[in-house]
Amino acid sequence: MRKLLVSNHLNRMGDTVMSLKPRFASVALIGLAVVLALAPGCASRKKVTSEANVQPPPAETTTPAPPKEEKVLPPSTEETGERFSLEDAFFDFDDFSLRQDAKSSLEKDGKFLEKNSRASIVIEGHCDERGSVEYNLALGEKRAHAAKDYLVSYGIPATRLTTISYGKERPFDTGHEEGAWAKNRRAHVVSK
Amino acid sequence: MSLYAGTTLLALFLSALFSSGLVAQTDVKIILEGKGTMKSPLMLARFKGEGPVGALPSQGRVIARKDFELSGVFNVADVEPLEGKPTPDPGMAGTVRVEGTVQQGDGAAFFRFHGQAIDVGTGEVALDRTYPFSEGTLRETMHRFVDDVLEALTGERGIAETKIAYVRQEGRVKEIWMMDYDGENQRQVTHDRSLALSPSWAPWGTELAFTTFKRGNPDLYLFDMTRGASYPFSTRPGLNTAPNYSPDGKWIACTLSRDGNAEIYLISRDAQTARRLTRNTVIDTSPTFSPTGREIMFTSNRTGSPQVFVMDVEGLNQRLVTIEGSYNDSPQWSPKGDKICYAARHDGIFDVIVMDANGSNPIQITSNAGHNENPHWSADSRKIVFSSSREGKRQIFMMNADGSDVVRLTSDGECFNPSWGPRPKARLAVKG
Repeated sequence: MRKLLVSNHLNRMGDTVMSLKPRFASVALIGLAVVLALAPGCASRKKVTSEANVQPPPAETTTPAPPKEEKVLPPSTEETGERFSLEDAFFDFDDFSLRQDAKSSLEKDGKFLEKNSRASIVIEGHCDERGSVEYNLALGEKRAHAAKDYLVSYGIPATRLTTISYGKERPFDTGHEEGAWAKNRRAHVVSK
Repeated sequence: MSLYAGTTLLALFLSALFSSGLVAQTDVKIILEGKGTMKSPLMLARFKGEGPVGALPSQGRVIARKDFELSGVFNVADVEPLEGKPTPDPGMAGTVRVEGTVQQGDGAAFFRFHGQAIDVGTGEVALDRTYPFSEGTLRETMHRFVDDVLEALTGERGIAETKIAYVRQEGRVKEIWMMDYDGENQRQVTHDRSLALSPSWAPWGTELAFTTFKRGNPDLYLFDMTRGASYPFSTRPGLNTAPNYSPDGKWIACTLSRDGNAEIYLISRDAQTARRLTRNTVIDTSPTFSPTGREIMFTSNRTGSPQVFVMDVEGLNQRLVTIEGSYNDSPQWSPKGDKICYAARHDGIFDVIVMDANGSNPIQITSNAGHNENPHWSADSRKIVFSSSREGKRQIFMMNADGSDVVRLTSDGECFNPSWGPRPKARLAVKG
């Protein structure tokens, strides 16, 4: 009887269910392959020269950097009157490895932190809306940690870098398509 | 005992229906509906009133009728009250008749509900009970009566008295809310004006563990319903998330990242001891205890994407459970122990899956209706509450564990993270 119910159920589901098994399996294999391919790709280490460390940070930037599309001005910087931009690192779905564009953004953040040796930042890990609250809180933290580790390897003392994960709970774009999701998968860098 | 003996056939049928879906007897009437859900006919009589009881009989009957419908066990038919004593009607074997009378109690605001459940085939009275109540407790009195009827007929109480905790979002604020199992009495629990997430019930039913950002960090708090107040439980650096109580209530499994990575911990309910169960560089989260308390199922992305794993309560013998699909998360162990429900992502869509606890026989029980996530079992393991975007914004729905009889429970704001509470401790009812 039970078996009959199950098969009825599957039939009712139609093609979607029936085609799940093979597709699931192949996706899992591809997923595994992607992970294996990504695993050796660690963040490239950049050592900061001692020169850069002793260089006195400019108290006031007289010529502000030209604005960029991804420029972020945290409210706190406006309050202090400083003019600078901190860039966010963006990620792929269910992934916390740093893409090349993410590394470039973080290197700019690293330069800023070098110049402003008293500045501290908070790195917020964020995710798109897909998946559970709990998994995304962990994934967001992985992203924040990945960004932090990169800045530490760049030469910024870990004591100046704080992390927090908001998971999928504080989206930048509340849309439900890839355009919004791509914006929400980020390590958001905020000056403290 | 003799009172109950006559309902043996009916009880056998219903308990078989509950446990395995097999038909135990051939002389009971079986109605097949939808996905093979077998329901027993129930004749629900108009409730009578004795004395100045106003609309209470009809109001009470509406509540009881919905409970019987939602039980998933009965097809309810409306009938007139029985006149005189019930007589055996063998042609109606397997049919239940329920009678109810609201009587004036001691004092203007006090009443009594006298309820009966009768096996029509034998004419035996399976339940005969009187419940004192006041106007404000009509609803819970009806829920208790229906659960008593189910217990008398099947040997197992229903879930009409249980409650569901969940998260409701208004703007950027997410608070813990609670409602009766049927969606009634929705009320706000936390007032953190922050992010409150992942509510989980203590087995004794008057406490919730949850995550809140109210102090800036994702911390674990406990909400004591008897005091109406919450207090910090784990505020370690990093994640303090995904709480789940052990069946004996002595431990809370959760996710901590104080070591720099999301790991599963057991923290004693008195917060004195913390035991780490997982050790690796990947994500481990969303622990759920087996009803025996000896094993914990959880989500890990150690194979590259989220999958469901299981381990002994000591953290040993960790192994993969989900054998199908590339993305499986949010496992919940059924209170009976034989099934797991979880959310699977396939073709970009999330759906609820139910499988055997050993990972075999996964069956997708939602489909073609938006994203369906956060599944959580009812105390009798016969229903699943979940969040769904099938009507736009996420709302809370419930269904039978085979996916049939989907009912929407919430409609305001955006609601998710439902957690179904345990049955209340047994209360005494006056024998009629």
